[in-house]
Amino acid sequence: MDVVTLASQLNAGTIIPEGIVTLTLLVVLVGDLIAGRKSASWLPYVAIVGLLGAIAALFVQWNGTSDTIAFLGAFNGDALSIVFRGIVVLSTIITVLVSISYVRQSGTSLSEFLSILLAATIGGMFLCGASELVTVFIALETLSIASYLMTGYTKGDVRSNEAALKYLLIGAASSAVFLYGASLLYGLAGGETQLDRIGIALSQIETPAIAPVVALVFVICGIAFKLSAAPFHQWTPDVYEGSPTPVVAFLSVGSKAAGFAFAVRMLVTAFGSLTEQWHFIFAALAVLSMILGNAVALAQTSMKRLLAYSSIAQAGFVLIGLIAGTESGYASVIFYLFAYLFMNLGGFACVILFSLRTGTDRISDYAGLYQKDPLLTLTLSICLLSLGGIPPFVGFFGKIYLFWAGWQAELYGLVLLGLITSVISIYYYIRVVKMMVVKEPHEMSETVKNYPEVSWNLPGMRPLQVGIVLALVATSLVGILANPPIDLAKASVQRSPILQASISPAKEVAVSRFAPVQSSEFRVQN
Amino acid sequence: MELQLQYFLLLAAFLFCIGIYGLITSRNAIRVLMSIELMLNAVNLNLMAFSNYLDPENIKGQVFTVFVITVAAAEAAVGLAIVLAIYRNRDTVDMEQFNLLKW
Amino acid sequence: MDLAHGVQLVSFGILAAIAIVAALGVVLLQNIVYSAFLLGGVFASMAGMYLLLNGDFVAAAQLIIYVGAVNVLILFGIMLVNKQQDFPAIKGMWIRKGATALVGAGLLVLLAGTIVTTPWAISTATPTGDGSTLKIGEHFFSDFLLPFELASVLLLIAMVGAIVLARREFVPEDTPTTEEELAFKLPERPRETAAIAGGSQTSPE
Repeated sequence: MDVVTLASQLNAGTIIPEGIVTLTLLVVLVGDLIAGRKSASWLPYVAIVGLLGAIAALFVQWNGTSDTIAFLGAFNGDALSIVFRGIVVLSTIITVLVSISYVRQSGTSLSEFLSILLAATIGGMFLCGASELVTVFIALETLSIASYLMTGYTKGDVRSNEAALKYLLIGAASSAVFLYGASLLYGLAGGETQLDRIGIALSQIETPAIAPVVALVFVICGIAFKLSAAPFHQWTPDVYEGSPTPVVAFLSVGSKAAGFAFAVRMLVTAFGSLTEQWHFIFAALAVLSMILGNAVALAQTSMKRLLAYSSIAQAGFVLIGLIAGTESGYASVIFYLFAYLFMNLGGFACVILFSLRTGTDRISDYAGLYQKDPLLTLTLSICLLSLGGIPPFVGFFGKIYLFWAGWQAELYGLVLLGLITSVISIYYYIRVVKMMVVKEPHEMSETVKNYPEVSWNLPGMRPLQVGIVLALVATSLVGILANPPIDLAKASVQRSPILQASISPAKEVAVSRFAPVQSSEFRVQN
Repeated sequence: MELQLQYFLLLAAFLFCIGIYGLITSRNAIRVLMSIELMLNAVNLNLMAFSNYLDPENIKGQVFTVFVITVAAAEAAVGLAIVLAIYRNRDTVDMEQFNLLKW
Repeated sequence: MDLAHGVQLVSFGILAAIAIVAALGVVLLQNIVYSAFLLGGVFASMAGMYLLLNGDFVAAAQLIIYVGAVNVLILFGIMLVNKQQDFPAIKGMWIRKGATALVGAGLLVLLAGTIVTTPWAISTATPTGDGSTLKIGEHFFSDFLLPFELASVLLLIAMVGAIVLARREFVPEDTPTTEEELAFKLPERPRETAAIAGGSQTSPE
């Protein structure tokens, strides 16, 4: 059998984007070996070109074939996975842009950092489409192990060590718990590892059976760790504070998006017969995350810790869309993650730039920054306001869409709690903005008084500037031009068979009844 | 009297719970890593038992076990590298001393 | 394996006893070196279990990888972190231990209840038995091809990353050098200066 027939039998074309990223990883590793330390000047651009190639391949697939099952059921490259893989790759591109000067300044080598980051991307991309337990596990571990390594990458820094150790121990424990759940699933399904067959087998078990619920709880432990939803959030603030900031940028968006894709596929396909139970558990997680994340964020003095708790809270908001379980619910999850990509990465890019120039990330040190660096202040303010859900930025539309979808699915309590905690969150976001903008010149912090001359010509600063401007433009404009991404999100839900099967007919009617209202509502706002 | 599936599963559950106990109470970072290995072994025993009793023809559980062993080895290597890095800087492996980052 | 039922049962009993005692030793003993050797005992008795479960290839892999690699790695780790250290006592430690033991026992009861009450669909098909190695190989190159290939990325990056984290503190120099210098020297420098510069970059807070 020759290679071409084998590839077509396996439908290997669906993993071309991952193949491109893998190739880029090898080029980066080997290029560094051959060219030595000079290579640091061009390796990041190789990585970005490779990732853009992966985006292009994903784009071709979006318009491509309908046959999405690949590798005899191990991978499902449906529209849902394409959108999530796109989000993961985009977050990696921005992370590469903002990490160049940071890694250079921290005195560590860039090529290994890029290879580990690319490996994490590969793991995340495969996790978005994995539809079989073993593939899920290996993809999850590729993402996790690469994340542990990146967290501890600045090994001279004690806090980075500590963050890596905590992340590794908690992560490995949660993946062991997940695995125990997976082994129970394997047994309950009578020796099947494909998610859809597990789903069929589980639906044939007569109620009430305790074993599927135990398996569900164990699996959710693994998922919630990746989403950093409370009460599985303990690692988040420590890892965010201790690890190099570009890594945090990737973890908060790329890793989380992959986690959501994994959650949707796992729960909808394998636990379709336990929908009530997992909705209940996720509702509890959402409530805890929203309350805890927003309440504790109020008391933070470090910018990175503030963003850590804010990301816990944001995970809680996104869970509302997941629990809604309707077409617009899933679409709102995708749209919000897309919005979150730009606003959160923009925020982190600004934190990176500020800490590069001043060496601190204390919130009080940002006082009066407006006088010295208007671009940084503008971007950080817009990203934070967008995270808080203030119109007309993209975060506002994302949140409205999420809450609207939750309201349609009759999740009144959750949506109300989401609204209340959003208002609380606006307070701590505005506090930072006020600190930067409103202060009089004499109230300026010592750090800002010694703020260095803004110069973009230093090595590695141009890409950082590009990243910041990109995030700024996307955060402020996607809000106004929200229709294309919303259409994309909806189309991806409509074209994914696994989601269509799970959306119940009764809810479908309700959705179609309200759909015209929703689109006109958005037109009005635009 | 024959060997039953449940015997293996019960042993695996016991090992898993011992692993969880060690995970939470251990103060030595390396012992925490060992506890995680115990948990992974419990999972492997589960998979092997299911594979033998429920899936004797396809033995997918055995394949799964091989993958878990692979990942466990990688995880142990990375874990010990991180423990070494932190020991160089802090001169201890006591989990209680790792409190620069407040919980 | 075609052993008589009685032999199987007795070997299971012995292996299970070894596994349980050794596992308890791993988490309860004070001396970490004893724990590491007992962990090897757990791994070895698991390999015996796999033989009872018709998994000869996996039993061999368990011995080679777990006992031969992971356990030795852990022992090396213990020796590199070679410090006889009495951890300072912490107030209320026994409360934490007791609470954890209670939680663990509760979890065990829950899991045991689940295992006993669930009607597992025991298959009556002929076991693959000694052909298991062949079967595993077929799986690796058919329906488990994707995870098999992905595992290679995982192992590659775990290797690269573990070396980066564990090797001594060297860092490429920031200033570019000429071709000749590159050809004759290792492109690595001690990183004292870089460590100070990099460490002070973010740490003072």
